[in-house]
Amino acid sequence: MTGTTPTLASGGPQRPRAQLVATGFACAACSMMMAGALGLYMARRHASGPHPGHDWLNGLAVPNPQLVYALLTLVASMVTAHWALWASRRRDSAHAWTAIATTIVLGLGFINMVMYSLNRMGLEIGAGEYQNLAFATTGLALAIVVVGLLYIGLMGLRSLGGSVGQQGSTALGAAVFFWDFAVLAWAVTWYTVYVVK
Amino acid sequence: MSENSTATTSRGVPVEDPTPFGWLTTTDHKRTGRLFIVSSMLFLVVGIFLDLLVRLDLTSATDFVSLGRDGFAQGFTFSREALTLLFLIPAFLGVAIYMVPLQIGAPNLAFPRAATASFWAWKVSGVVLIGSYIGNGGPYGGWANGVDLHLLALSGLVISLLLGSIAVATTVMTMRSPGLYLDTTPPFAWSALVSASMLVVSLPVLLGQIGILYIDHRYGRVFLAGNYGIWERIDWIHRTPQLFIYVVPILGVTAEIVLATAKRRVFEPLAMYFTLGLVGLFGFGAWANFSVTGEGADIIDGLEGVVLVGLYGGALLGTAGLLGLLGLALIQNREMPKVSTSLLAALGAGTLVLFGALYGLIGAAADWLEIAGRGNDGNPQLRMTTWVTGQQSVLIYGAGLLGLLAAVHWWAPKIWGRELNDLLGILNFLVIGGGALLAFLGPALSGLFTEQPDFVYGDPNATAIYASWVDDTGAETFSAIGVAGVVILLGGVALLLLNLLISVGMKKGIEADEDPWTAQSPEWMLPSPPPIGQPDQLPTLVSGTPLLDAAEAEEAAV
Repeated sequence: MTGTTPTLASGGPQRPRAQLVATGFACAACSMMMAGALGLYMARRHASGPHPGHDWLNGLAVPNPQLVYALLTLVASMVTAHWALWASRRRDSAHAWTAIATTIVLGLGFINMVMYSLNRMGLEIGAGEYQNLAFATTGLALAIVVVGLLYIGLMGLRSLGGSVGQQGSTALGAAVFFWDFAVLAWAVTWYTVYVVK
Repeated sequence: MSENSTATTSRGVPVEDPTPFGWLTTTDHKRTGRLFIVSSMLFLVVGIFLDLLVRLDLTSATDFVSLGRDGFAQGFTFSREALTLLFLIPAFLGVAIYMVPLQIGAPNLAFPRAATASFWAWKVSGVVLIGSYIGNGGPYGGWANGVDLHLLALSGLVISLLLGSIAVATTVMTMRSPGLYLDTTPPFAWSALVSASMLVVSLPVLLGQIGILYIDHRYGRVFLAGNYGIWERIDWIHRTPQLFIYVVPILGVTAEIVLATAKRRVFEPLAMYFTLGLVGLFGFGAWANFSVTGEGADIIDGLEGVVLVGLYGGALLGTAGLLGLLGLALIQNREMPKVSTSLLAALGAGTLVLFGALYGLIGAAADWLEIAGRGNDGNPQLRMTTWVTGQQSVLIYGAGLLGLLAAVHWWAPKIWGRELNDLLGILNFLVIGGGALLAFLGPALSGLFTEQPDFVYGDPNATAIYASWVDDTGAETFSAIGVAGVVILLGGVALLLLNLLISVGMKKGIEADEDPWTAQSPEWMLPSPPPIGQPDQLPTLVSGTPLLDAAEAEEAAV
């Protein structure tokens, strides 16, 4: 008995895109999670009465400009995420670090803007059907964004911590792919819950 | 080589830590697979026992005799969750985690740590789920925090099963031996890919629903009728067509065993992969009907009826096509195939999946076409009666248990290094088959002739409705038949565990060599069992049937 738990050696015929494929599956899972939540949101909205003519929002006013800025911030972070990927493929650590840091700052800024918007809107949990549904769907979409941020941060550290190699940029590519999906998931949630309402 | 016997292999590669900490942090898919298989069997006992109590409750015309009026609804929901999320899905996920890398020539699973995390998260969530029910939580529970805890445990179960499914699907997609393509992959590995992929796109819907249900239940209960509104939105994961996704790996086990026993390749490989995919594909969509629209208690007609009939029809077509191809392979074999537990159980499981699809199609068509006034004049549709329990019995008890029996007997040499007792196995097949038949017949006949409700969603007096229904309709007798079936099934599971204990635990089973069945897929080229803690070393594969290729080449040379 060695007394430790050695890691099983990998190697052999492993193909390089396992992480990207797994990320694709994760994106599919997250998109179905949002489909389930938004589907229930729309079903309840439909059942609540005709639109317009029914105060589905219980008197709440959606702060559209702030939420649009938040979305634009997220779209900008997509650009910086791809910049990081482009730089890592060129083995340009300086640019890659800058781009990853910018992406994370923009992502955190987005979360801050959304929280501010919801506060300004007065979205209070438990106050009504719209409030609960909006809180839950927004929370799920924000959770995807947070996971995306962590993923980009971790893969950034992993790929740039040593040297930027092919494997590292593949890992970062998977994270950027998930980030693109997170932006899309937020955009769909925003459109459904805060634009179409 | 026993994992406990030596610290290192002959090549100096360290084996894994046999202490509990080693099992907790293992990076070997073989350990994770074993953990899933054995744990799901133990949870199965819990699920069957609860189902027995639920069915016992329906045998009395005057009152519920076991769980009582307060506990019946929780017992019902608990048993369904235990049978699907704690047994059916994880059992075959465990078999896939163990066998898939061996079948495709991969050194390990794509994300072994994720698979291990998946197991422990599933286990902990399962225990928390049981705890929430014990504390009077769960749907229809009286303890509000327990209801929330149940929802959290449910989301933990879903996330952990998704993690394991993604690991399996990614392994098949990206870690096949160079030269082994998707259309030459062994059928079980393909079925694992189909099932895992479909789980990945269907189970997360439940996660989204749980997010909303949790928020609403915990804060204000604005639109959800308290804890009574939960079950109708999550029940779809225990019903067909969703159940078809869970049984796809069982069809893979059937294909694997039948083809190896017949010593034949399938007549048309692409058709086999297509039919397996078809069954998985037509299992998709249950969530749209039950969870999103929340119409569990309403009548299904028009387009919804057409869609349901189409889904059952597609699953039936896929299963029939697959069994037809396997039947051809058996017929082509010039020798009489050796009758064994695994072959009998595999054929039984495949046939029951076919029957389950046909049964579902008949029920959906009767509801849609309003045959015998179904859905009119206060007559419930079949899908709202115990007809549904009959179908669950066919697919979970019949196909699920026989599929597990087949898989465990077939791959026991590869998992534990010993063959299970075949005589005990055949007896086990008969017991499980007989039990499943009775467990199906009782509720099926009751649903058909007495229209006894399956479950009354959202009705606080559901238990009273059940009790009144049993009176003077003959449902008592039918329920008693179902109870007898479940008791026999409990005996069947006990027999399987006894066989494992005697053959593996007490080491009475025959020690297996590399290929005790003269099988054909790649895992039989490895030692039985492959050493724990080492990558599985297979030569580069160019086919999913290397042993059959070699046998044929040898025959041709002679």
